[in-house]
Amino acid sequence: MAKSPGERRAAMVRLVESRTVTRVAPPLLLPAGPYLDLAGEEFGRQLLLTTANNGIEYCLRPDFTLPIAKSYLDDGMLGVPGAYTYLGPIFRQENGVPVEYDQAGLELLGQPDADSALDQVLTFARWALAIYDVTAPNVRIGGVGLFESFLAAMGIAPQWQQRIRHRFGHPHAMQRLMERLAQRSDAVAGSSPDARETIIEIVTDNMLQSGLSLVGSRQPEEIADRYIEKQALDATPVPEEMVALLVDYLSVVDTPGRAFDSIWKMASGAGLDIEEPLMTVRNHAAALTALSPKAEVVFDASFSPRLDYYTGVVFEMTGRHGEVLASGGEYDRLLNRLGATEPVTASGCALWTDRLEAEAGLLE
Amino acid sequence: MNEEQLILAVPSKGRLEEETRRVFGESRLPIARPGGARSYVGSIKNQPQVSVRFYPAAEIARELIMGAIDIGVTGSDLIHEAAENGEENVVFVKPLDFGQADVVVAVPDAWIDVTQMSDLADVASDFRSRHGRWLRIATKYVHLTRKFFADHGIAEYRIVESAGATEVSPAAGAADLIVDITSSGETLAANALRILEDGLIMKSEANLIVSKGADWTPMKKAQLEALLSIMGGIPPGISTQL
Repeated sequence: MAKSPGERRAAMVRLVESRTVTRVAPPLLLPAGPYLDLAGEEFGRQLLLTTANNGIEYCLRPDFTLPIAKSYLDDGMLGVPGAYTYLGPIFRQENGVPVEYDQAGLELLGQPDADSALDQVLTFARWALAIYDVTAPNVRIGGVGLFESFLAAMGIAPQWQQRIRHRFGHPHAMQRLMERLAQRSDAVAGSSPDARETIIEIVTDNMLQSGLSLVGSRQPEEIADRYIEKQALDATPVPEEMVALLVDYLSVVDTPGRAFDSIWKMASGAGLDIEEPLMTVRNHAAALTALSPKAEVVFDASFSPRLDYYTGVVFEMTGRHGEVLASGGEYDRLLNRLGATEPVTASGCALWTDRLEAEAGLLE
Repeated sequence: MNEEQLILAVPSKGRLEEETRRVFGESRLPIARPGGARSYVGSIKNQPQVSVRFYPAAEIARELIMGAIDIGVTGSDLIHEAAENGEENVVFVKPLDFGQADVVVAVPDAWIDVTQMSDLADVASDFRSRHGRWLRIATKYVHLTRKFFADHGIAEYRIVESAGATEVSPAAGAADLIVDITSSGETLAANALRILEDGLIMKSEANLIVSKGADWTPMKKAQLEALLSIMGGIPPGISTQL
């Protein structure tokens, strides 16, 4: 029952055009601003840009999620559950060379039951992979929500929490921070309140002498406050046992059952209450493992996409050579970052159909 | 032009040109520029198989990566900057001991709370919510900056490309900080900018560089080996890497 590439493609089209979803086709040429606003320079370098005569930058569609989420908002769909699918080309720059890929995917926006939406996304990804005869992929899941809850329960200074959260999903930067936290410094305690005025004065003088605008960029108060905060943080470091706990947490990579057991042990040993978020990830992992045929599922505590709008559970499915075939998860913060005035649940996934086709070819 | 001729590109002006011609001269390979500073073609005495071109240093880096010239003298920073992974397309044959400079991250001296890249990561992370725009970095080193900042886990910024006088960008309000090249640090200090403690992106100097992508015939390889052996201090067998 080997299928031809054409038959696989037709099956993929049928999947994205099934009755419960709406297939959409955002324009190929999109304003680059929203991408740069959301993802900064790191993703910006991958865009294929062109500049209009009036200086406005455009890019060839580099993904589907953002334009889909944006038109959901622009069309006034807030509060209405939406299920969108897509299949078509995306364009990026890789190592300075323009490349075209084919992507398919599903975005579930504003669904009343976020948990069931994520399970639908996972199931959709498994179905899509099965079209290409990838029936038992390797699946890596990560818990952004779980990490945020774990961090919040630790009771460390909010500024430290922010710094740590910000590095989640970036192993190198996180490791550097953990090393920095593990080094005890002998810094003296924070300055007294009247020192703040003095520091502001010194910074203001320095800025004026250097010809810097006092309002155009970072302002004297902001610099002084962060300076004082930094001294205070140096003086109140994250307790050693908490640093060790974080390092242990981030190093968990195991089958979901074993991973969640050891995280639960860690948390209860330290008196942290993360029962609810842990249960949520556990249920999704269980739902995923229950799908047959059985996939190799691994929970990786430090895994997260670099984009900070991901929220709950994230995942990627890989082929036999480790290349990512599907990735996605929950991204509840995206719609708010785009200007939604109320919380909007969102989960979705993107599939690399070129890679899937290559994977199917390997099997034959 | 003879297809078997080796094309050697030399910086077309300033100290880089002088120093390159001095180094070649000291190796008994005096470079002649018959038409003076306006001429872009030259030669080496007694080496008719070598054709010399005078190009701007950044142009030499691009042409080496593309394989349009065979050998060139330019700064290693320019090779890294000319294209992502540009260094994979060339062989650095010999550092020439001049044109030393560091590519560094420098912030306004008034930012007393920012001494390390990790501070910059913190500032970048909430800059947009405080100021309604991205943190802006002025530089002409776009690739090097992106790579270095990505290594430090910093994504929340935008690059403002600057063609010249990068160091005045913060005072001019065009950027918040800069990535630039400095040899003594004096220009940075004069503009009230301070290099971060771990803000050294790369140490650069002028190098003799061979293009991997050039059209290497056996004849040209042999001529390259001969030329490099006259230069001295270069292990034989470079042509096997091409």
